[in-house]
Amino acid sequence: PPPAVRGGSCAAVRHPPLMQNTGAARGGKRAAPAGAGAGALQPAKLSRAELYKPPTSEELSQLKETEDLFHSSLLRLQVSRGGPGSRRWPRSAPLRLTDQAWLPKGVKVPFLQVPFSVKGRFRFVPPTELKVVGSYLLGTCIKPEINVDVAVTMPREIFQDKDNLNQRYHRKRALYLAHIAQHFSKEKLFGSVKFAYMNSNHLKPILLLRPQGKDEKMVTVRLHACPAPGLFKPIRFYPSKNNVRTAWFMEQSTPKEGATEPPTPHYNNSILCDTVLLSHLQFLSSAATDFPGMKDGLALLKVWLNQRQLSKGLGSFSGFLASMLVAYLLMKRKIVKMMSGYQVLRSTLQFLATTDLSVTGISLVKDADASLPVLDDFHQAFEVVFVDPSGLVNLCADMTASKYHQVQFEAKRSMEILDDRMVDGFQVLLMTAKPMLRAFDHVFHLKHVSKLQGACKKMQLLNELMDRGGNYVAAALPFIVSLLARGLAGRALLVAHSLPEIPEWPIDAEPPKHKDVGPLMFGLLFVPEFAASLLEKGPQADHPEALDFRTFWGEKSELRRFQDGSICEAVVWEADTVYQKRLIPEQIVKHLLKLHADIPESSICYMGALLELSVCPQVSGTGEEAMVSVVCSYDDLSRKLWNLKGLPLTVTAVQGVHPALRYTDVFPPIPMKPIYSSYNRIRTKHLLLPLEEKPCPAYIAPLKIVCHMEGSGQWPQDKGAIKRIKAAFHLQLAELLQQQHQLVCRPAVTHTDVYKDGYVFRLQVAYHRETLILKEVVTPEGMLKYQDTEESRQLELETLHLPYLTSSLHGLQQQHPVFGSTCRLAKRWVSAQLLSNNISEECVDLLVAFLFLHPAPFTPPSSPQVGFLRFLDLLATFDWKNNPLIVNLNAGLTGEQAIKNRFVAARSRLPVMFIATPKDQWSSMWTQEQPSAQILQRLLMLASESLRAVEEQLMDPLNSQDVKMVFRPPLEFYDVLIHLNPTQIPRHLESVDRPLKSFSRGVVKNSTSVKILFPVVDYDPVQCYLQELRDAFSDLALFFYDKHGGEVIAVLWKPLSFQPQPFKVSSMKGRMVTTLNSELVCVPNVEAILEDFEVLGEGLVKSVEARTEKWTI
Amino acid sequence: MAAAGERVAGAAPAGYTALAVKFGARQRSPHYLLVKEHQVREGADTAHPPRRTLFVLNVPPYCSPDALSGLFARCGRVQSVDICDKPGTGEKKEKLTSKFFNRKTVTGFQVAYVVFRKRAGVQAAKALSQEGPLLISTESHPVKTGISKWIASYAASVVDREELKAEVDAYMQDYDKKIAEEEAKAAKEEGVPDEEGWVKVTRKGRKPGLPRTEAANLRVLEREKQKKARKELLNFYAWQHRETKREHIAQLRKKFEEDKQRIALMRAQRKFRPY
Repeated sequence: PPPAVRGGSCAAVRHPPLMQNTGAARGGKRAAPAGAGAGALQPAKLSRAELYKPPTSEELSQLKETEDLFHSSLLRLQVSRGGPGSRRWPRSAPLRLTDQAWLPKGVKVPFLQVPFSVKGRFRFVPPTELKVVGSYLLGTCIKPEINVDVAVTMPREIFQDKDNLNQRYHRKRALYLAHIAQHFSKEKLFGSVKFAYMNSNHLKPILLLRPQGKDEKMVTVRLHACPAPGLFKPIRFYPSKNNVRTAWFMEQSTPKEGATEPPTPHYNNSILCDTVLLSHLQFLSSAATDFPGMKDGLALLKVWLNQRQLSKGLGSFSGFLASMLVAYLLMKRKIVKMMSGYQVLRSTLQFLATTDLSVTGISLVKDADASLPVLDDFHQAFEVVFVDPSGLVNLCADMTASKYHQVQFEAKRSMEILDDRMVDGFQVLLMTAKPMLRAFDHVFHLKHVSKLQGACKKMQLLNELMDRGGNYVAAALPFIVSLLARGLAGRALLVAHSLPEIPEWPIDAEPPKHKDVGPLMFGLLFVPEFAASLLEKGPQADHPEALDFRTFWGEKSELRRFQDGSICEAVVWEADTVYQKRLIPEQIVKHLLKLHADIPESSICYMGALLELSVCPQVSGTGEEAMVSVVCSYDDLSRKLWNLKGLPLTVTAVQGVHPALRYTDVFPPIPMKPIYSSYNRIRTKHLLLPLEEKPCPAYIAPLKIVCHMEGSGQWPQDKGAIKRIKAAFHLQLAELLQQQHQLVCRPAVTHTDVYKDGYVFRLQVAYHRETLILKEVVTPEGMLKYQDTEESRQLELETLHLPYLTSSLHGLQQQHPVFGSTCRLAKRWVSAQLLSNNISEECVDLLVAFLFLHPAPFTPPSSPQVGFLRFLDLLATFDWKNNPLIVNLNAGLTGEQAIKNRFVAARSRLPVMFIATPKDQWSSMWTQEQPSAQILQRLLMLASESLRAVEEQLMDPLNSQDVKMVFRPPLEFYDVLIHLNPTQIPRHLESVDRPLKSFSRGVVKNSTSVKILFPVVDYDPVQCYLQELRDAFSDLALFFYDKHGGEVIAVLWKPLSFQPQPFKVSSMKGRMVTTLNSELVCVPNVEAILEDFEVLGEGLVKSVEARTEKWTI
Repeated sequence: MAAAGERVAGAAPAGYTALAVKFGARQRSPHYLLVKEHQVREGADTAHPPRRTLFVLNVPPYCSPDALSGLFARCGRVQSVDICDKPGTGEKKEKLTSKFFNRKTVTGFQVAYVVFRKRAGVQAAKALSQEGPLLISTESHPVKTGISKWIASYAASVVDREELKAEVDAYMQDYDKKIAEEEAKAAKEEGVPDEEGWVKVTRKGRKPGLPRTEAANLRVLEREKQKKARKELLNFYAWQHRETKREHIAQLRKKFEEDKQRIALMRAQRKFRPY
C-alpha cells in the first residue's frame, strides 16, 4: 500500500475537536460567511491609548477570531485531501526529466527550464507527509493575506544521486507540484488552483489553493514541496560550494580544463531553505510558547512592514523574517517573555535601527559547531546575513544591502517618532502607508528590465547569473544599486529599489519570465543641503585613488584647480536654474547607468520633476530665480524707506505681505516695462490707461508691503482723522521716493504704488494703534470697551497677522528650499480646480507648511513633486471633522493637547477646516469664512481623485505621462459655462495648457527704466467681471474660475434659491413674480439673468453656454 | 424650479405693478421692476415725499441713477433718484462730502426711490406696464458695461494728488480746530465743579485718575480677588478640608469620564485599515 498520508497531523494535535467533529466543521461553514462579512464591514479599531496600554487589543482578538473561522475550510481541505483522495493519486513510471509529455495540456511546468536539457529521472510518488507550517500555526497571520503554508514532503524514492546539481532538485520539485496541481485542478473543491513563486524567487514555485465560494479571497493554502529529511548532506551546500556547473549552464559540451567552479551560495540556500521548513516551525513555536506579547508584537511588526512596502517580493523583509528576528532577540535576552506587544515592537525596531546586518551578521546557532560555516563565509557570499538555527541557511539571502538599509532607516525614523511626545505614534507608524512615490524625493523607473541582461554582460556577472538560475534582475540589482549609491553618496540619504514581484499565474499558463517583474522602481531620498551641488570633488591628481575616481565617472571627470591651490579630479554638472540643479541626480543616474551598465537613457524614466515645469512654467525654469530677484528688490526698497529723509515720523518696520515675498506666489512677477503704443497715454498725470480696442494689457500684480510708522502723540485718536493722515503719508512717501530715489510713484488714498526695477510695490502705511481705535466702543455707563468689528479684524489681519505669517514662512523657505515650489504647485492645483476663490492662499500655504514641519512618518520633502503628492494625500485623508490641524510654526507651541480639547468642546462653532498656529490658537483666522462645508467636501474628493490619477501616471513608465491631467478641471458638473474672450484675459499665458496663440500685451521684459509713465497695475477685467457677478447673483449661484488664465467661468445654481418662494420685498433680486397653482410666487428670472451675464461682461464674454440638459426652468 | 408652461410673465403682488425692462434692444428676456407708490408709516420722510415718490424694486445692476431717471423721464420731470442696497427708512444718509473717503458703491440688484416733481409722474410710471419693455441703454444715452466700464473705473481710481492733498489738509484743519476747542473747554472746566458739585477728572488733568476702560476695570477686579484670596484661610476647618477632597475626587471623575468619551470617539472615527 502507498505510504499513508498523515494529513494535517499537526493541526489535528492542536485542534482535535474540530478535526473529529464534522458537526463543528459544518458549524464553521455556516459561521464563515457571517464572519467574513463582519470582517469586511467593521475593521477592528485601535487607538493610541491601546497601543500603550494592552497588548491584547481588539484588533488582534478579531484577527484570531477570523482565523478560527478558517479552520473549517482548511480542515475540510485536509480531511478530504489527506484522507481518501490521495489514494487516487497514482504513482507514475520513472521518466527522464526532460520528457514531460505525461503532463496534460492543462498544466504547464512552473519552472523556467533554461537550459532545458538536464540529466535525471522523475517519477511521481505520493507525498510521505503533509504538515502545516508557518505563521498560521503560530497565530501571527495578519490580513489581508491569510496564508496557510503546508509542507509536502517528497519521498526519498523520487530522488537520485547528484540531484543537488544543476537545478535537478528544483526541476523535480516543480514537476512534483505540477503533478499535484494536475490532480487538484480536477477537483471542484477549490475555487482556484494557481502557481506562484515563493517570495518571487523563480527557483521556488509553490502551489496556491483557494477554497470555493465566499472564502476564496480570504484564505490561501500554499503548498511547498520539500525533500525528505536527510536526503542531502548539508556540507554540499555551504556558501562556498558550487552546485551549478558552468559547462552545463553555458550549454558547452565539455568543461573547461583547470577552471575552478565559482561558489553558488544563493542556489545552495534555496535548497537548504526547503530542508529546514519543519525545524523552523518548531523553533518559532518554542519561542512563542508562554509569550503572548510575541503574537501581538509580530502583528504590529508585520503591519509596520506592510505599510512600508517591505514585506513582499524578492528579497523582502518578510513576516517570517520578522518572527525569526524576534526569536533571535529572545535568545539574546533583549526581549523577555514578559514583554507586551508594544515592547516587542519597540525592542525590535531599536535593534534594527542600531544593527547593520550587512556588516555584522547575526546567527541563531546556539552551540557553535566547528564544522559549520562561520559568519564571515556568509558575509562573503551574501550582502545581508542572518543565519538560521541550523547554521546553514541565510534567511536574508536575497535581500540587497540597500533594502536592509532602508529597513534600518525606517526603524530609526520610527524610533524617533515613538520618542516624540508631540506625535501620535500609532497613527503615523502603523496607520499611514508609505508608498515609494510619496516616501522618496525622486523616483525613477527602469522601463525594460530586459536591459539588465546587457548590464550583466557589461558588469561581467556570469557567476551571479548562474547562482541565481539565470535571473538577471536579481543578479544585476545589487550591483546597480551599489553603483548608484556610490555615485550619489553625499547627495542621497537613501537609494532604494522596489522589490521585484511576480504575480501568481494559472496552472495552464507558461511560468512568467524574468522580465515579467515589470518596471523596476528606484527611490532617492536626498540630503537637502548637498543634493543640488554642481561639483563632485575627487582625490588629488597624484593620489592613487584618482584613477579609481576617473574610471568611476568616465570622461565626465576632469582635472581642476581649486581655490586652495590643489589640483583634483572633479566632475562638474551643468545646471543653470534651481530647477535644473534639482535634476542633477538625474544626470548622475543616467550617466552612471549608461557608463557602467549599458542601460540607455531611453529606458530610464525619471520622475523627479515632471510636475513643476509643466505646471508653473516661466521664461526660464520654474521662476524660483524670479522670486529671489523680487525679494532683492523688496529688500532694497525697504532699506530706502528706512532711510527716507523728510518724513515727519520715522518708519519703524517694513513688512512684506504679498505671497511672492514668502516665495509662494504661483507666478512670481517678472520685471515689465510698458510699450506706450498699446496704451492711452495721460501725460499730465504720468500714467497709462488700457485701451479698449487693444488686447488687455499684461497683468502686473502689486506687491503689497506694510510700512509701519512710529507711534507718536501727533497721531490723531479718531478713525476718520487717522485715515486722512495715512492718505497724507501716502502722498508724502510718493513725493519723497520720487525726489530722493527717482522712483515713479502713484499715490492713492489707501496706498502708494511704487514702480521699481520693473516691479510695482504697493506701500500701505500702518499705525499700530489704529486697530485699537477701530475696536473702541463706549458703553452706556461711559466705560471704554474693545470689541472686534469687521473693519478692525480686517486691518489686524492685514497689518499684524499677514506680515507675521509671511515672515515665518519666509523663514521656513530658508530651512526647506523646496517649500515655496511645493506651495506653488499646491496653489496651482487648487486654482486649476476652480477653487482658488474658495480657499485663501494663506490656508494652502499653512497646509503645505504642515507637511514640512510635521512630516512623520516621512522626512521633509526635498522635491516639489513629492511635496505635492503629500499635500493631496493630506487633504484627502485628514479627518477635518474631528481634528484640528496644528501647524507648529517656529516651534512656538507646547500644549497641543489643550488645543485639541478645546477644539472638541467647541467643534460645532468652529470653521469646518480648523488650522491652529502658535499665534492663532483659537480662531483659525485663515479658514474662518471659507471654505464652506460643501466646498471642502468637493476639495477632498478632487484631492483623492487627483492623487489616484497622478500616482497611476507616475507608476506607469511605459505610457506617456500626462501629469497635467489633474490640473484640468472637470466641467460637466456645472450648470452654466461662461466662455471668455482670450484677448481680454490678461493672464492667459498662465493657463495649464499654454495657448498656442498669444497676444501682444503691451509690455516688454525690462527692469532698467527710470522716467516712464506709470503702467497699468492690478487691472484684470476677469476679476472685475467676477466681482460684479458675485455682487449681483451671489444668492442665486456660485461662480468658479481659474484665476491663472482660465477661459471659462463655471456657474453652479444654488438649488435652494430656485425653490419658488413667496413674495418678499427684501428677496426680489433678479427674480420675478409668477403664479404657480394660483399662488403668487417668486422665481429667479433665469433667461434674463443669462442675458445679464452677457451684458455685464460686454467685450469679455464670448458666449454663455447654458447646460439646460442638467436643469429646467 | 417650477414648470415652464404655466408661467405668467409680469405678474405682480398686490399693490405693485410690474414693469418689463431690458438692457438694450438686442436682449430678448426682460427683467421686471416692481414699482409702487412710496408709503411711509410714521413721520414725514423728507427725502422721499410720499405722494411723489415711486418705490422701485429689483433694479438690475447696470441700471445707474441716471439711467433710471432717463427711464422715467417720459412720465414727468424726475426730481431725484436714490438707489440703495435695501429698502431703508428713507432717512437720507448724511451727505457724502468727500470724494475720496468713505465711498460706498451699491452693487448688484438694488432698490430705488424715484422722486417726481409732480404726483402725476407716479401714476404715469405705473401705467408704463401696458407698454413694451423699457430699454435702459439707448442710443442717445448708452450705458457702459463690461470692458469700457472697467477701463473707465480704472481711470477714475487714479486720484489727483493736489485735490487729495487739499481735502486732507482741510479736514485736518477742521479736526485740529475741533480738538483744540475741546481741549480748551476741558481746560476751562478742569477742577471746576458742575451744578451738582461733581468734578470731572480727565486724562490730561493734574490728577489723571483711573482710565475708564474695560481692561483697567478687569485689572482692578483681579487685584481685589487676589487680595481676598490672600486673606482667606484654606483647609483651616475640618469641613473645608473634606470639601476640598471631595471636590478633587469629583474633578478626577469628570476628567475620567471625558477621557473615556474622547477615546470612544477616537475609536469610532478611526477605521483600522493598515493594509
